[in-house]
Amino acid sequence: MKTMSPRGSGSAHRGLGEWLLQRLSALYLTGFAVWLVARLAIAAPADYVAWKAWMTAGGVRLAFALFFLSVLVHSWVGMRSVFLDYLKPLWVRFVTQLLLAFGLLALAFWAAQILLVEAHG
Amino acid sequence: MTEKSKKRPKNLDLLHIHLPIGGFVSILHRVTGVLLVLALPLAFLLLQQSLQGPEDFAQVVALLSSLPARALLLFVTILLTHHFLAGVRHLLLDLDVGISRSGGQLGAWLVLGGVAGAALIAGGCLFL
Repeated sequence: MKTMSPRGSGSAHRGLGEWLLQRLSALYLTGFAVWLVARLAIAAPADYVAWKAWMTAGGVRLAFALFFLSVLVHSWVGMRSVFLDYLKPLWVRFVTQLLLAFGLLALAFWAAQILLVEAHG
Repeated sequence: MTEKSKKRPKNLDLLHIHLPIGGFVSILHRVTGVLLVLALPLAFLLLQQSLQGPEDFAQVVALLSSLPARALLLFVTILLTHHFLAGVRHLLLDLDVGISRSGGQLGAWLVLGGVAGAALIAGGCLFL
């Protein structure tokens, strides 16, 4: 019986890199989530001025920039592995991965815009 | 496809195999992950608008204070805590922590207990 080869969808040899990326981004997201929840629980910015001042501070902006990067990488690897496990015909995989790639790319540009315009003091 | 190969059992037919608690928590990790990705654009939108000006900020606050939004926030909190805790469990499994049969079951129950606890706290904050 001919089995579905992962080579067909271009994933050969990329397993270890994706495995590592998923864990590295997970580690950052874990730390970021704990920090964000703790910070907002202890002292949530009370109004727009405080919120804007907090978000435009250098360290917070950098933390959010790394968050955007991590969450998009994490989404790409995670969604792709779900697609590879449950979507069978090659063309369905191709179309969904293409849509995912464009969607995440759009979110990346959007995140850059938030960081460079709205979260810029 | 021959008659014989049609009757061949599917080993991972999720509707017919009994899924152990660890598998249940693990599959939920995937489901919550997909749902959280779908929620990303909404989160980006709210973050962006909240930073555009005092009126926009007030609009976001008003929107998030509405009853349907609070219900949605509770749901997202559940998704997030589940994905977070189940993810930490997977990272610990990578380090062989909780890898035994009983350890794996305990870890899975701890994840579900943590989600229930977070849901109670978030529900209290959002609705009381």
